[in-house]
Amino acid sequence: MKGIRRWGPGLLLVLPSIVLIAVFVYGLIGWNTKVSLSDWRQAQQTTGFSTAAYSELFPPGTDPGWTEAVKHLVFFTGAFMIGTLALGAFLALLLDKGVKGEGFFRAIYLFPMAVSFIAAGVVWRWLMNPAPGDRGTGLNLLFDKLGLGFLANEWYLNPTWGAAALAIPAIWALTGYIMALYLAGFRGVPEELREAARMDGASEWRVYRHVVFPHLTPVTLSALIILGHISIKVFDLVVAIGGKQFITMTPAVYMWTLIFDARDYAKGAAIATILLIGISFLVIPYMIYTVRAERQT
Amino acid sequence: MAEIALQHLVKRFPNGFEAVKDLSLEIGEAELLVLVGPSGCGKTTALRMIAGLEDISSGDLYIGGRRMNDVPEKDRDIAMVFQNYALYPHMTVAQNIAFSLKLSKRPKKEIKERVAETAKLLGLEELLDRRPKQLSGGQRQRVAMGRAIIRAPQAFLMDEPLSNLDAQLRVHMRGEIEALQKRLGVTTVYVTHDQVEAMTMGDRVAVLRAGDLQQIGTPSEVYDRPVNLFVAGFMGSPPMNLARATVERVDGGHALRLGSATIPVPSELVAERKLDAWEGRGVVVGIRPEDLEGPREDGSTPASPVRLQVTVDRVEAVGAHLLGFFTVDAPPATSDAVAEATGGGLDEVALITREGTPFCATFEPRMAIRPGDEVEVDVDVRHLHFFDPETEAAISG
Amino acid sequence: MTTTSAAPPVPVPARVGRPRARRAAALSFKYLALIFFVVLVLMPLYIVLVASFKGTAEADPSTAWALPNVWTWEAWSDAWSQLRPNLLNSLYLVIPATLISTVLGSLNGFVLSRWRFPGSDVVFLFLLFGLFIPYQAVMIPLTQLFADVDFPTGIPRLAFAHIVYGIPITTLIFRSYYATIPEELIEAARMDRAGMLRTYWSVVLPLSAPAFVVTAIWQFTSIWNDFLFAVFLITNPDSWPITVALNNTTGSIVTPYNLQMSAALLASIPTLVVYILLGRYFIRGLMAGSLKG
Repeated sequence: MKGIRRWGPGLLLVLPSIVLIAVFVYGLIGWNTKVSLSDWRQAQQTTGFSTAAYSELFPPGTDPGWTEAVKHLVFFTGAFMIGTLALGAFLALLLDKGVKGEGFFRAIYLFPMAVSFIAAGVVWRWLMNPAPGDRGTGLNLLFDKLGLGFLANEWYLNPTWGAAALAIPAIWALTGYIMALYLAGFRGVPEELREAARMDGASEWRVYRHVVFPHLTPVTLSALIILGHISIKVFDLVVAIGGKQFITMTPAVYMWTLIFDARDYAKGAAIATILLIGISFLVIPYMIYTVRAERQT
Repeated sequence: MAEIALQHLVKRFPNGFEAVKDLSLEIGEAELLVLVGPSGCGKTTALRMIAGLEDISSGDLYIGGRRMNDVPEKDRDIAMVFQNYALYPHMTVAQNIAFSLKLSKRPKKEIKERVAETAKLLGLEELLDRRPKQLSGGQRQRVAMGRAIIRAPQAFLMDEPLSNLDAQLRVHMRGEIEALQKRLGVTTVYVTHDQVEAMTMGDRVAVLRAGDLQQIGTPSEVYDRPVNLFVAGFMGSPPMNLARATVERVDGGHALRLGSATIPVPSELVAERKLDAWEGRGVVVGIRPEDLEGPREDGSTPASPVRLQVTVDRVEAVGAHLLGFFTVDAPPATSDAVAEATGGGLDEVALITREGTPFCATFEPRMAIRPGDEVEVDVDVRHLHFFDPETEAAISG
Repeated sequence: MTTTSAAPPVPVPARVGRPRARRAAALSFKYLALIFFVVLVLMPLYIVLVASFKGTAEADPSTAWALPNVWTWEAWSDAWSQLRPNLLNSLYLVIPATLISTVLGSLNGFVLSRWRFPGSDVVFLFLLFGLFIPYQAVMIPLTQLFADVDFPTGIPRLAFAHIVYGIPITTLIFRSYYATIPEELIEAARMDRAGMLRTYWSVVLPLSAPAFVVTAIWQFTSIWNDFLFAVFLITNPDSWPITVALNNTTGSIVTPYNLQMSAALLASIPTLVVYILLGRYFIRGLMAGSLKG
């Protein structure tokens, strides 16, 4: 049949990748799920079936480390997503009309993307050092010197808001990327639409509100998904700033400590599975939506 | 050079849409056949099936006597000129043209010679080292043709090659392509939505509508003897005037009652078209603008003076003549076919509503005709067309 | 003698001047805001730079904001001697991994967008999902698998992992990019009798430069900066890439402040250089929607 002679080679070319992903993503996920449902709780591997790992995590409060980690994640995600979206959109708005030196500004805002979370974490750990006033380093010291001493606080060691403080370096790192997404989105709006609105008497703000912003829903959706999944996976940054401390624990870091320190493989695997399920809820509908939208154009 | 035969070709897309429904045609060796019709009529799909770029859902395709349904496009020995030229942007003109030969592993010397030959044929010698983005639309079009020509294939397929060019260039290139085709003697299937192009270029014209073949014939056959309302309305610019009328018996023969006017029909025409069978019944009558003549400057009158008294609504100056629009107080021939043929939908909502049907007549270019003038228009009754209002088929006896 | 008296100046109505003044004010506010954020973004860089050039005596976090009194390369040379082997490890890791995963992405992207087969979109989603998974979910089994098949330890394991897990993002970037190549161009190649590989090599590849740049930069940066995979897969400190070594160095209380900062900067230099030299292509690719995700 003519068909397969045409597309057969394509399938063959992609086959290695399909096999690799089948094994290393789906296969390993399956393996991980198996481990999470086993009784492998110490260095010596055992392979009995057990849901103990999950039952230790689920009722909130049974595992205080886990509960804290989840709480921190929620605060972190909230602060991270809101901060990055707002700031990224705001910067894109400022640059949209084209300012002198746009290239310069864009390059500066995007440079944090080149820096590893570990290196950034090191610097921000110093900047957010909780020591107050003139014994401080970093931002507390700066506030003190500028006469803004009242702004000094415990940053990431704050029991309630610490996780949100952790979001600051993350916001620093990703705002540029979100700004680029929004800038591309703004500029994707045909100029004619804006001009028609202006001719109809709309002020610039109205033009933005009624013509430009409605176009941005897909961008915002993409941004939310991307930020969401980065947030759930966040690991490097937290380790660099807080190490294995309880007070900055997030699920991903908790998993790491369970495996390397406590050797509690089943529980570690259970956490990984939970993270995966969480992300799937976010990502699978989005992926299907993108491919379907693409097919319609 | 080869003949191409399409037998009951059908193209059904996965979502159920049938772009081509049972198309059968034969294209003779060295013939230039034009596939023409409005957007969406299936002409490009049919072309792509011949090319092998679309799979054939059912039916058979023969090129040069061989059944081609399962033959991949690269083995069909056909060359295609695409609507947007599809020139390789990173290659020079020479490389673009030579590409297929390079793939066939022809010796370098041969390639060079054939490229030079083709370039000379198309006037591209100076441009051989340029990249497509440095070329004008017309030049790119010629490179696209060169790419096809150099392969000396069994057949050429052209997908609206002129639609992206300016009007004047288009007129010029029409002649060039036609001359080239005659010179090379390669069987060519040419797709266009422009019926003027179809008429001037084709040895034969095939009119398509919504996947069905309406009529196939020489340009004059399709123009002078349209088989249905769609073809009648589609071919010819400005389009044929169409309205409802009744056939009446009068002393000495038959006449057409068109609104308040009575137009006698010559008995030869009645006999030829067997119009007597339609006595007392409604028909759709068509008459082309060039067969409705306004008063001549020199005062002479045409051969069969049947006159209509009309009031001019508006005038269009198109250079070679004037078009005068007036209203005939007969009901319009509303039908989807007519709407689609003449540009669709405008009949439904006229900008200025009038009772009756707008008609168009030709006037000599320097006549001083103005809206509101009362003039006499001569009807050339030998060129009346009649259509069955139900089936939309031409009444031809 | 008459003196012409100048007519009293006609007062310009205030209203005429206002829109222009408002626009100028808005523009200044815009620039002020932009510059303010530039300062915010560059602030950490300032801290790091300043600290890295301070000598051990001066290097006290309490004077973090002050410029060095004595500029010295001490911290730099210490960082270099400590971290040099790790930098090399990272280099041996990044270059082959980036090259291979970029090429893979290009081939996949080409097939999935311009030489499709039944189920291309499903396969794409199948591959894409790998981008979003938390890598923690595969770390344990991955280490086990490597151990079971006795895969060469150290950098090879890490490189292999990055190549495999890089497939989704590289395929995504190339597929989006190739979708912008007109279908007609591929059809013309097919009519010119080109097969799949020939079409890729002669028609598609020459047009792929922007996507190659964006993908290579992205992969280089991601792989160089990766910590998670490295910390799970490489147990021998001699084989640590720079990120793990950095975390180890800076996590220790013993390490002097200026050394921590210079180490952080040293670890970031390759990616910063790539960004400075090639950043504009990357940004251009971003703006064209290569990484819409």
